[in-house]
Amino acid sequence: MCREDSCLHLSAEEEIAAEESLSIYCKPVELYNILQRRAVRNPSFLQRCLRYKIQAKHNMRIQMSVSVSRIVNEAVLTQSLFPLYILLARVVSDVAVAEYSAVYRFRRACILTSFTGIEGSNQAQANFILPEINKLAVEAKSGSLAILLVSFANGGCCLWGRIPLESLYFSWEKSPNFSLGQRAELRLPVDMHSCLLKLTCLNEDKCILIQNLSNSLLTNQSLQLQVIISAEEVGAKEKSPYNSYTCSGISSSSLSHIIQLRAGNVIFNYRYFNNKLQRTEVTEDFSCPFCLVKCASFKGLRHHLPASHDLFNFEFWVTEEYQAVNVSVKTDSWRSEIVADGVDPKQHTFFFCSKQMRRRRQKNLVQNARHVRPVFMESKLHAGGGELLDKVHGGTILQNSRIGAVEYAQHLPSSFNVAGVSGAVGQSYSDSERIQSVSGNNLTPPALLQFAKTRKISMERSDPRNRTLLQKQQFFHSHRAQPMAMDQVMSDRDSEDEVDDDVADLEDRRMLDDFVDVTKDEKQIMHLWNSFVRKQRVLADGHIPWACEAFSKLHGRDLVKAPALIWCWRLLMIKLWNHGVLDARTMNNCNIVLEQYQKQDSDPAKG
Amino acid sequence: MAKTPIGLEPVVGSLTSSKKREYRVTNRLQEGKRPLYAVVYNFIDSRYFNVFATVGGNRVTVYQCLEGGVIAVLQSYVDEDKDESFYTVSWACNVDGTPFVVAAGINGIIRVIDASNEKIHKSFVGHGDSINEIRTQPLKPSLIVSASKDESVRLWNVHTGICILIFAGAGGHRNEVLSVDFHPSDIYRIASCGMDNTVKIWSMKEFWTYVEKSFTWTDLPSKFPTKYVQFPVFLASIHSNYVDCNRWLGDFILSKSVDNEIVLWEPKMKEQSAGEGTADILQKYPVPECDIWFIKFSCDFHYNSAAIGNREGKIFVWELQSSPPVLIARLSHTQSKSPIRQTATSFDGSTILCCCEDGTIWRWDAVPTN
Repeated sequence: MCREDSCLHLSAEEEIAAEESLSIYCKPVELYNILQRRAVRNPSFLQRCLRYKIQAKHNMRIQMSVSVSRIVNEAVLTQSLFPLYILLARVVSDVAVAEYSAVYRFRRACILTSFTGIEGSNQAQANFILPEINKLAVEAKSGSLAILLVSFANGGCCLWGRIPLESLYFSWEKSPNFSLGQRAELRLPVDMHSCLLKLTCLNEDKCILIQNLSNSLLTNQSLQLQVIISAEEVGAKEKSPYNSYTCSGISSSSLSHIIQLRAGNVIFNYRYFNNKLQRTEVTEDFSCPFCLVKCASFKGLRHHLPASHDLFNFEFWVTEEYQAVNVSVKTDSWRSEIVADGVDPKQHTFFFCSKQMRRRRQKNLVQNARHVRPVFMESKLHAGGGELLDKVHGGTILQNSRIGAVEYAQHLPSSFNVAGVSGAVGQSYSDSERIQSVSGNNLTPPALLQFAKTRKISMERSDPRNRTLLQKQQFFHSHRAQPMAMDQVMSDRDSEDEVDDDVADLEDRRMLDDFVDVTKDEKQIMHLWNSFVRKQRVLADGHIPWACEAFSKLHGRDLVKAPALIWCWRLLMIKLWNHGVLDARTMNNCNIVLEQYQKQDSDPAKG
Repeated sequence: MAKTPIGLEPVVGSLTSSKKREYRVTNRLQEGKRPLYAVVYNFIDSRYFNVFATVGGNRVTVYQCLEGGVIAVLQSYVDEDKDESFYTVSWACNVDGTPFVVAAGINGIIRVIDASNEKIHKSFVGHGDSINEIRTQPLKPSLIVSASKDESVRLWNVHTGICILIFAGAGGHRNEVLSVDFHPSDIYRIASCGMDNTVKIWSMKEFWTYVEKSFTWTDLPSKFPTKYVQFPVFLASIHSNYVDCNRWLGDFILSKSVDNEIVLWEPKMKEQSAGEGTADILQKYPVPECDIWFIKFSCDFHYNSAAIGNREGKIFVWELQSSPPVLIARLSHTQSKSPIRQTATSFDGSTILCCCEDGTIWRWDAVPTN
C-alpha cells in the first residue's frame, strides 16, 4: 500500500525527472526479484535471518503451573511442609541401584514456600513449559515423565509425592477449555510418602534417588496434598497480530489505523526528487521492502537495512503509534552503481585510491612545488593532489580501446624518433629525420588499417564528468615522474609502457653483438628485421607476407647497395618460406621490388 | 672479491703524518643545532673559488672565506617546509655563467637557486625518494647528476629544467645510491655507488644527442623524451659494505666504504661487454674511526690532496698522487668531537673546511711555511 505526497505541483519535465529519481528505489527490488526467481530452482545461499526465532515464537507450548492449595489430612503433618520442591523428572531406568525404589533425573527444582492464595507469599507456584500437546503425547504415554513433590520437612525423613504426566495429559486432552486455547485447571490429590532421599549428579543432570521407607514407627497414613495444576497453550497468542499493540479507546474506523496497529508493520517513507517528494509503503512482519526478507523484530530490521542495502540512507523512528523508516538515496558520486543508459561501463575511468598508503612526504612534494612557483607546472594544484600521487598508474587513464587506426598512422613519425612525444612536437626535429620518417610512413597506413579494423576510435567517448576530474589535479608520468601537461592528460595516447624504440634498438644491437658465430652482415639484417618487426607490430604468421614486402620496399635501396646484405635477406626469406609463413608469390614480389631498385640504381650510372 | 696475485696487492698508506703541511684552526661557526651534511666550494666559477655553501636541516647558506680566517655569511635560504632536510649541495651555473646553488635532500626535490638574484630558479621533481648527492659536470656546468634513495641516478639540465636521462633499471643499483661523480675529462662517463656495495660506471655516449637536445628544447620540460639507461658499462664489487663516496681520480676511482679506508682502484673495462671488466685495486688510504656511513671526502681542485673527517671529529689529509700514500696532516681539536660529515678543500688545498653533526663549521688554514 503506497501513499503519495502530492503537495508539490510539478511540470511535465519535472514529473519525468521525479519518476526517474523514484526509480532508483525500484532497481534493487528488481534485482532481488530476479535473484529470487532464480533461487526457486537453485537456492544460492542461506541468508542469515532469525527465521528460526520467528518460527519458534509461533510454536505452541503448554505453560503449566503447579501449586499446593492445602493439606487434606493436616493431623499427620508434624512439621512445616515448606519449602516444598517441585520437579519435572524422568525415570532413570538404566541405572541399576538395588536398594532404591525409584531414581529420577531432573534439571531444575522449583521451590514453593507457601500455599497458594496466601498473601505476602513469595513463591506459591512453580512454572514449567512443556511441548505442544501433540508432541507431549508420545512422552506422556511412555510413562516416564512425572511431577515430583519433595519435602525435606520431617527431620531426617523426607516426604515425596508423584503425579504422573500421563494422567495430566489425558485430562488436558479431554478438557474443553484446554483445546480452545484457554486455561485448564485441575485439582488433584497427591499422596506424600516418607522416604530416604539421595541427590547425585549424573552427567550434568541431577538425580534423585528415592528409597521408600516402610517404617512401622510412622503412621501408615501418608500425607495428602491438594495440588492445583493449571495449564494453557501459549504461543498461540502470537497468531493474532492485533494483540501487542492494542490501544484501547481508539476508534479504528479507517483501515490505515488498524494496519498501523499491527505489530510487524513498518512504514517506509521514500524520499526522492532531491528529497522534495515522498512516497510511503507499509510492510508486514518486519519485512524488508527491497529483498522481502522477514526480520524478527524492528531491531533486526534496523540492522538489516544498512547492512544489506548500501545504496540508501535510513532513519529509524518509533512512536507509540507506529514504527517508521525514512529512506533517502546516498549521493556519493564515487560509488555510483547505477549505470545510465547508453554508457558503456567499460569506458569509464577507473580510479583507485588507497587511503592507507597516504605518504605525507609525497603530499609535501605537491605543496612545496606549488609554493616555489616552478616554471614548468601548468595547472593549478589541487589540495587533493596528494591522494592521486598514490595512484598506481601515475598519469595514465585506463581505457578499453587504446589506439585507433587513424591515430596510429598519425603517430608513426614519432615512433621513428622518440616514444611519448605527441605529433605536434615532432615538428621541432631536424628535417633529415622527418624525411626518413615520412618515407616510412607512406608504406604502412593501408596495411595497418587492415589489422586495426576492430579497434575503436575512442576520442569521443570520454565521460564529461571524468574530464572535469582530470582537469582538477596534477598528474605525473608514471616512469619519469615528470609532471604532465594538461593536453597530455586529456589526449588519448598512453605512452608510458610503450617500448622505447631507440633503447630497444640499442639493446638489440648489443644482444646481437654477443653472438660470435654470426657475420657482420647477418647481424645487420637481423637488426634491421628485428627493428622493423617491433615497430610495425608484426605479431602473427599471417602478417609475414606483408612484412616481407614492406621490408623490401623500405630497405631495398640500401640492400641493393650491399650485395652481401641482399644475400642475407634472401636467405631470411627462404627460411620464412621453409617455415611456411611466406608464400612463393610474395617472395617473388619482393624480389621484383629489389630488382626494380637495382635497375634504378644502375640506371643513373648508365644514363 | 678475487684473490690478488702476488705483487699486485694494494699499497696501504701509513698513518704517521709526514707533516708536510701544518694546519691550524682559524675559525669555528655554529650554524644552528641541526647536523650539517654537506659543504662544498665553488670550483665552477673561478671568480668564486673562496665561496662555499653548506646545507643542514632546511637551510642552505652561502659563505665566503676571507683573509685571516674570517668567514663571511653571504646568503641564506630556508625551505618553507620545516621537515625538509637537505643532504647535499653543489654549485652549477647557467649557460651565461650565473652561479647556481643546487640543493636537495629528504623531500626528493632538487632546488636550483639562482645565487645572483637570490631567487629560486627551478625545482626538479621526479625522484621518488630522498636525494643523497648532487654533482655538477665541470665541463658543462649546466648538467647536474643526482643520486637518490630511489635507486636511480638522474641527469638534469639546470638551464632548461629537463630530466634528460635516468640511470636505473635492470642493471641499475639495487639499493640507495649514495654518491655519484662525473669523469673529469670524459664527458660521457659517470660513476655511482650505493648501498648495494657496488660501484657502477655508466656511459652516456649513445644518448648524447638527447643531452644536446636538452639545451635547445623549447617545449615543456615534461614532454622531453627522457631515456632510461638500464645497463652500466662497468660494475665493481670492491667493497663489502655500503659505499658512500666515490670520486674520479683521472681514470681511477677513489671510493670509500664504512671500513675505515679510502680505496684507489682502476676499472679495466672490456670493450663490448659490461660485466666482464675487472677492478685493479691500487692503493688504500686508511682513515681510522670512519665506520659510519654518509661521511664524504673532498679533494682540492687539482686532486693533489684529499681531506676526510671521521666520526670522532678528526680530519686526515692524504696526498693523492703519491705512492705509497703519504699522510699530509692529521687535524684534530679538543673541542671537535662530533662526526664530520663532509670536508671541503679549497682550490689550492690551503684551507680545509668541515661540517659536523652538531652544526658546526670548522675552518683550518695551512700554516705558511717560511
